[in-house]
Amino acid sequence: MWDLLVEPFSTDYMRRALVELVLLGVLGGVVGVYVLLRRLAFITEVVQHAVFPGIAVAFVVGQSLLAGALASGALAVALLAVGSRRRQIDADALMALLIATFFAFGVVVVSRGTGFQSDLTALLFGRILSVDQRELIDTAVVAVVCLLVLAALHKELVLRAFDPIGAEAAGYPIAALDLVLNLVVMLTIVAAVRALGTVLVVAFVVTPAATARLLVRRIGPMMVVAVAFAGLCGWLGLVVSYQGSVHHGWRLASGATVVMCLTVGFVLVAAGRAVVHVVRSRPVAAPSREPRPAAARP
Amino acid sequence: MTHSRFVTPALVLDNVAAAYDRDPVLEGVSGSVERGGSLALIGPNGAGKSTLIKAILGLVPIVGGRIEVLGTTPSQARGDVAYVPQAEALDHEFPVDVLQVVLMGRYRRIGWVWRPNRAHKAAALEALDEVGLAHRAHDRFGVLSGGQRQRVLLARAVAQEAGLLLLDEPFNGVDATTTDSLLAVLEGLRAKGVAVVMSTHDLSVAHLACDAACLLNHHQVAFGPIAEALSADRLKATYGSSALLLEGGTTLIAR
Amino acid sequence: MRNLVESLQSPLFRRALLEAVLIGSIAGTVGVHVVLRKLPFFVVAMSHATFPGVAIASALGVSLFVGGTIAGLAVVVAVLVLGASKVLDDASIIGVVLAGSFALGVLVVSAQPGSSKDLTAFLVGSILTVTPADIALTVIVGGTVLLVLSALHKELVLGAFDRVGAAALGYRPWVLDAVVLVAVTVTMVTAIPAVGALLAVALLTVPALTARLWTDRLGPTQAIAALVGGLSGVLGLSASAVWSVAAGGAIALATGVCFVVSLAVTSLTVSRRMPRTAPRDRVGGAAA
Repeated sequence: MWDLLVEPFSTDYMRRALVELVLLGVLGGVVGVYVLLRRLAFITEVVQHAVFPGIAVAFVVGQSLLAGALASGALAVALLAVGSRRRQIDADALMALLIATFFAFGVVVVSRGTGFQSDLTALLFGRILSVDQRELIDTAVVAVVCLLVLAALHKELVLRAFDPIGAEAAGYPIAALDLVLNLVVMLTIVAAVRALGTVLVVAFVVTPAATARLLVRRIGPMMVVAVAFAGLCGWLGLVVSYQGSVHHGWRLASGATVVMCLTVGFVLVAAGRAVVHVVRSRPVAAPSREPRPAAARP
Repeated sequence: MTHSRFVTPALVLDNVAAAYDRDPVLEGVSGSVERGGSLALIGPNGAGKSTLIKAILGLVPIVGGRIEVLGTTPSQARGDVAYVPQAEALDHEFPVDVLQVVLMGRYRRIGWVWRPNRAHKAAALEALDEVGLAHRAHDRFGVLSGGQRQRVLLARAVAQEAGLLLLDEPFNGVDATTTDSLLAVLEGLRAKGVAVVMSTHDLSVAHLACDAACLLNHHQVAFGPIAEALSADRLKATYGSSALLLEGGTTLIAR
Repeated sequence: MRNLVESLQSPLFRRALLEAVLIGSIAGTVGVHVVLRKLPFFVVAMSHATFPGVAIASALGVSLFVGGTIAGLAVVVAVLVLGASKVLDDASIIGVVLAGSFALGVLVVSAQPGSSKDLTAFLVGSILTVTPADIALTVIVGGTVLLVLSALHKELVLGAFDRVGAAALGYRPWVLDAVVLVAVTVTMVTAIPAVGALLAVALLTVPALTARLWTDRLGPTQAIAALVGGLSGVLGLSASAVWSVAAGGAIALATGVCFVVSLAVTSLTVSRRMPRTAPRDRVGGAAA
């Protein structure tokens, strides 16, 4: 059993993949808790697609991913600001628009290059097994910077999430705090995009924190649980995809397997919690005379 | 309407208890409203006024007691009950014009798939005329003022030709013209035998618009003719220290 | 330009053009209901959720339309049930399910040989290979959807405008919801062979939003949305022929270009004539 879990990491590339996933797990787990508190899951989805054309351009011309991501992220933010000033346009709808059109933009850019299909696959789903030393260092630097910023602004960010008007009344620059958090989310996504790809990266931010929230209520423990859960799933996902591919001929894509582990973990925790809830609250159930209409809630 | 429907009261509440999930929001409400009668639901925020209205509509389950609407169950009476929401609760940017909103009251008569014909449009315009807004029929709903939107929603209820009218805080934040117009329309409907139930914070408007009142604060404090139900000690029991008794016997509610 | 003229002589390209115009105008019209009911996030979720269904159907060798529809309908049921019980209405939960179902689709596809070609076809479509059968399906399904939506037009608009009011009148709001959600799902699945799951989102939201910039009337909104959808099909496909880029991406990007141009033009003309009504709070509510 032990061999089964450790044996895959006898090669360098598997060890590097594991280190990368653990680093991303720490970063994504912590950032995810702030995303959850601010209810920014949809924004995270938007950022993930908004940076895609920039990453695609940088990928095609061989420039820094971060610069490309920043440029296209800025374009999306500008469009969001201009569009949401129009009364007919709902902010949610505008974000869906950005998701779809920026993604399309990225696809068009990649399709100009040769090897469209394999490039697109790499950008969308990542290449965790080909992470090299330099990329590991990049990820570590981004993680340290983001975590330091979050630690420094922790109490202000929590206040802003809990009571935005109170925070504004107390004189905090709300817009600046929001910008900082959005930048941190963007950096996290750019750091993770090479390993996990544009479409799956949101799972590393949202899923660990959502799972942790089901288990604990306080912010500190939530971060610890989220980080541990992300790390554990990264390890398990690599093991499953390695064992599946090497010994059973299943050809499981590593990044997608890791995300499946996160999702299955979340579903198991949610189901376990629902069972506990039902068992505990059964004796209290009140009799109702009229069957309850399904859509009766306000 | 048939003769037998005039014999039964418009609304009968019999020891009603209503609940979201498992905690009762409202208990022990009993009383009735005759055809052409009118009832004010009065109580502090969160006392259960909106819950009672939704229960009468059959949209909130009752966990105890019985509600009878126009001689039948709430869910069967639905098409014959008109509901006037607070205008503020609706999306201002929604692309519908005023006449379309009023026509919505007639959709059950028009039926699935069919389009409104000339007679329905005439009825809707007539209802709109009653609230003094016929000239705004083709403006977008969202460009009207708050009071005008409230009047359009009342016109929608008029166009529905219902037997019972339920209004959620109809006088909340509206101008004097709207208050007068709403009172006049409600008076006209009652003369035709329509029963009116409204929740309100405003004791003076309640006196003008209604002849009975139900005082609520999670349970029923009083139900009866408005002068008796809104006595000083009962208001005190409902509102606690926010009820101020002035010299001369008038009670004010501090909000 | 010469590329375009050459392309127009190919029957494959003309077929693709027909499909692009059909899909664009159908999805544009359906999109008006998406925007009225504030469902764009649902559409994004749906685009991810139909993916494993399509992938599994392709692996099993059954119809992609059937596989995608079943997966999509499962999500519709989940949305209706969760919406009714209000236990899990958090955007984060949808985020979890999105990424999870996508990963499932990737796993299924990657287990097949020649996977990256199939994968891109699902995600960004391959409109130049549509068959006459695909076009027939588009006509039949799209026609049915448009027929149902126009037959129930007044009830659907009432349900979107005033849910409690509709319930008070005796309609069942969840029935109205279900009609729209099923129509959106079926339209999306029909669009997958042409533009792919992720880009179908663009056709189902952007033309309707563009139309809203030009008018406050419902009828014209639908007409303009259909027009913008069809026009984007033509523009995108032409651009893909001229600059040899991916056709699905170019079509979706064309809708975005239509939006930005409309935003600029109407900002200069329409909004000056129409004063804003009560300002709305846009801060923080976006993800709730």
